[in-house]
Amino acid sequence: MLENDRNQLHKLVEEALPELDMMIGWAESCDPLQTTPVFIRDAKSISKLTLGPFCSQNLAGYLVKPPALDAPPKPDAKPIGICVKGCDSRSLVALIQEKFITRDRVRIFGIPCRGTVDFRKVAQRVPLANVKSATMEGDSLVIDDSGTPLRLDLEEVLARKCLGCRYPNPVIQDVVIGQEAKPRSSSLAATYRDVAAMDAKPLEERLAFWQSELDRCIRCYACRNACPLCVCQDRCIVETREPRWLTQRVGIPEKFLFHFIHAMHLAGRCTGCGECERVCPMDIPVTLIKEKLNKIMEEMLGYSAGLDPEAVPPLLTFNPGETEI
Amino acid sequence: MRIGVFVCNCGTNIAGTVDTAKVASEALAFADVVYATNYMYTCSEPGQQEIQRAIGEYGLQGVVVAACSPRMHEPTFRRAVEKAGLNKYMFEMANIREHVSWIGNDREANTRKAVDLVRMAVGKLRFNQPLFSSKMPVNKRLLVIGGGVAGIQAALDCADGGVDVVMVERKQYIGGKMAQLDKTFPTIDCSSCILGPKMVDVSQKENITLYAASEIESISGYIGNFTVEIRKKTTYVNWDACTGCGACMEKCPAKKAEDYFNEGLGTARAINIPFPQAIPKKAVIDAQFCRQLNGKKCGVCAKICPVKAIDFEMKDTIVTEKVGAIIAATGYDLFDHSVYGEYGAGRLPDVITGIQYERILSASGPYGGHIRRPSDGKEPTEIVFISCVGSRDQSVGRPYCSGVCCMYIAKQAILTRDHLPESNSYVFYMDIRAPGKNYDEFVRRAQEEYGVQYIRGRVGKIYQRGDRMVVQGADTLLGVQVEVEADLVVLATGVESSSGAGELAEKLRISYDQYGFYMESHPKLRPVETNTAGVYLAGACQGPKDIPSSVAQGSAAASKVQSLFAHDMIETNPQVALVNERNCIACGKCIQVCPFGAIQWKELRGGIKKAEVLPSVCQGCGVCNATCPPKAVQLQHATDNQILAEVNELCA
Amino acid sequence: MTDSSPRSSAPADETAATKQGIKIVGFLCNWCSYGGADTAGVCRFKQPTDLRVVRIPCTGRMDPLFIAKSLIYGVDGVLVSGCHPRDCHYAVGNFYARRRMEAFKAFLPFMGIDTQRFKYTWVSASEGQQWQKVVTEFSEQIHRLGPNPGVRLRSGDNSKVSSGLR
Repeated sequence: MLENDRNQLHKLVEEALPELDMMIGWAESCDPLQTTPVFIRDAKSISKLTLGPFCSQNLAGYLVKPPALDAPPKPDAKPIGICVKGCDSRSLVALIQEKFITRDRVRIFGIPCRGTVDFRKVAQRVPLANVKSATMEGDSLVIDDSGTPLRLDLEEVLARKCLGCRYPNPVIQDVVIGQEAKPRSSSLAATYRDVAAMDAKPLEERLAFWQSELDRCIRCYACRNACPLCVCQDRCIVETREPRWLTQRVGIPEKFLFHFIHAMHLAGRCTGCGECERVCPMDIPVTLIKEKLNKIMEEMLGYSAGLDPEAVPPLLTFNPGETEI
Repeated sequence: MRIGVFVCNCGTNIAGTVDTAKVASEALAFADVVYATNYMYTCSEPGQQEIQRAIGEYGLQGVVVAACSPRMHEPTFRRAVEKAGLNKYMFEMANIREHVSWIGNDREANTRKAVDLVRMAVGKLRFNQPLFSSKMPVNKRLLVIGGGVAGIQAALDCADGGVDVVMVERKQYIGGKMAQLDKTFPTIDCSSCILGPKMVDVSQKENITLYAASEIESISGYIGNFTVEIRKKTTYVNWDACTGCGACMEKCPAKKAEDYFNEGLGTARAINIPFPQAIPKKAVIDAQFCRQLNGKKCGVCAKICPVKAIDFEMKDTIVTEKVGAIIAATGYDLFDHSVYGEYGAGRLPDVITGIQYERILSASGPYGGHIRRPSDGKEPTEIVFISCVGSRDQSVGRPYCSGVCCMYIAKQAILTRDHLPESNSYVFYMDIRAPGKNYDEFVRRAQEEYGVQYIRGRVGKIYQRGDRMVVQGADTLLGVQVEVEADLVVLATGVESSSGAGELAEKLRISYDQYGFYMESHPKLRPVETNTAGVYLAGACQGPKDIPSSVAQGSAAASKVQSLFAHDMIETNPQVALVNERNCIACGKCIQVCPFGAIQWKELRGGIKKAEVLPSVCQGCGVCNATCPPKAVQLQHATDNQILAEVNELCA
Repeated sequence: MTDSSPRSSAPADETAATKQGIKIVGFLCNWCSYGGADTAGVCRFKQPTDLRVVRIPCTGRMDPLFIAKSLIYGVDGVLVSGCHPRDCHYAVGNFYARRRMEAFKAFLPFMGIDTQRFKYTWVSASEGQQWQKVVTEFSEQIHRLGPNPGVRLRSGDNSKVSSGLR
């Protein structure tokens, strides 16, 4: 099935490429559990494109990061082709909504997604160095580590954000590749179960939890850099001197404030794609912080980011009538 | 930076509960502070000279004064440091009087707090930058919204002073409520006789442009430079051609149109000029009642009109006017008494409102000035007036006094006796409020010379008995129930804000209270200004008001406008937002949130977009600064660094 | 977590608090609440002395991150006050602020910071008595909570273990 989808993708991209500036997709990498982003301008490279549960990267961010941000596209510029999963498509909608890209600038290849594999979960079962190959067989991930093939239930190795996924199918797309995927969750409760578990803890435990988690933060800003909506990048106020929000001191308060800044700047904008957490080298559940704000936005203001390209993010507007929010 | 700190004793106001000498000595230890002292009255002439002396002697580059509220003396001290050669924004105040010495008695805690506040002020000052204002031209044209007596007064005063005035009135005529009145208290002079000439003046002054039957569509811009879009509503009559001859009215076969001017007491033609003295004297077709506009074959007016002014295809048009100041004089509406079941809930034909009674009394009214009752046209002999209908009544959401009802009841009762010497008038009242010049004497005349019976108490019920009405009430002074068989009942309906007042306020960006009345900038000291520079108030739009007060406010607003227009240029406030283009990521969020439309796109070379603040439009609220993710837009004098510096001093 | 921190030993905190006082930062809009605080002063309405006021033009200027910064770095309480809704000097600044602060208030406890340490309110320039009430009640609330432990880690606790939340 995956093979069919991949062939369909290759065919569609081959047809579209002459009209495209480039095609952004995933390619296999040296690591069998992870793909790598690939930027294709040449028809010969189309065969590199791949699909499947290892395509974890959200490619939407590549559309807007500087210098692309500063240099506006020429009027005659061709659109960019991009592969998006359900969650990635919401980032794309958010970017269109905030007018970082226009809809006609992108040719969207929608990929219904059955979840992405978190290689670190696999690593808990088998040393990564031993993994020779990994393939999907039905709902199982079969790992060949030169011994007896290890069969892992997909559920066990999916990324955390995938477990409560409500939007596995792209919400915006030009073409769709493969069969529609079934949402793993249809309720707020299922999507935000980790948030609820955290909320259930006493305040002191929550503080202790984040103190211990954020203490590991090395302020490498990988979470920020990977975030498709963190468009400030090198102008981010956690690094600028003017204004000077943060010192370079390595302390827990600085780490807290950095994550507050990241979270508040995404309040009402974050689509929960989980990139920040995926790329964290220190294993800090940073997406969880944004999930809490996403939950607040949904419950308090009835807003989910990245669904409606016409909507205004809730913190950029107001309603005089809401006396009791 | 070399900073001087001056701690004010304010006599004993501060020194009584704050150790000012200790505050000064501790301040000397703060970073960059090179001089600190305390002084008896820093705001006094010698106190200011002491600051100026220190600036020279110690080469100060910034000054902190710890004294009263900056809302009190910040301008004073800014001037003082400016005279000594500093930029006036290189100054900060620590409020150690209103926020410290006056609210706490614990000397030690107060002193500690004062030290903290000074430390915060010094911390902020270290990030202050000299700021400079720019100048912009004033468009010396005035927009008056509302053509009632307040608006007319304002317009005429300004026009007399040589100001070009644009007047917008949503009704087809100017004159407002006063045009509907018969006589005015306390002099019983004829309303149209005193208002009429002013209305004529408005139409004849060459520097007044009148848009009647028009409404404000949108307002943009700022003091000195407003752009106003005015919607000229469809009248189906080309007013440039219409001579007001009235031939169309005579021949119009649709005779059952609503007579708004006469408050529904009579009927009007579908094409109508509401009253003979109307300004502008132009006909308007009421589309609701016109036969032609409702698909029937008619067009009589079009045939009869000697100047071919009728245009059934007419549409609303938008005109744009540029002005430098705006006076809102939108007046009031009257309370709808049908919510009162005890007064018949609006269903008894002979229970009428005060304004309806004015029309009955008026010689140009529906009954030609003869007092008759609407139900059967009979002359009434027993007339009951009920005050406070929709005033001072929390149960209908109108807790305020309408201010004019007591007086107009007295006037109407006097006029009733003049018209019908055999009649008896009764007034049910709560309190008589007659505080104006000759007002109380007027009410006394009604009682003593005209024999009007004043009964202090509320009416509990009005019901029909035969062709009369029984008014049941209490006389709380005698402590008895009273019952009057009345031919006519007049309800003194209270004043409420004009319909649509809120929407207009949003367009004007002025605030309004819970009842829809516009908020003055200060209830005593800035009664005709609003908090939006360049927008002024006149008349009952600000609160219930009688004619003398409305006229006075009209003139007051006019004088404010003329003092503004006495300047060719006005200085802008430099405490506005400023974009650091290097940091701007062109996300446009500032443009999205700015309440004033003060931020726009700017295109650099290569088509790179950046946000740009228009300093003359920016009001300095800082919403953009709070919103900007990379903090590229900074509100001058309240920058992130400045606020963070104050917070940091407390975190230390 | 161990209890070795000087911050968490109650008696020491009590003395520290009484000696140094609790520190509350108040962000007050220039037009309404700063005026209200002035009015309270002019009327000599006595208030606790813990509040330190930062004057801002409008609550719309309030980036919730100022509140985060204050609480993370150990200010004991944050009070934001502005014009009543619909009375904003800038027409709508407090409408933006209301949403942002409401969301932020709901978010704070998730990170382990007591939401009771932050309050926002609306006080007009004429409401001196209301201001006295707000300050008194909030100061008492913060005194009940005691000094803000902040987010600093106890010494020696630098465990770099994964949460296992994945």
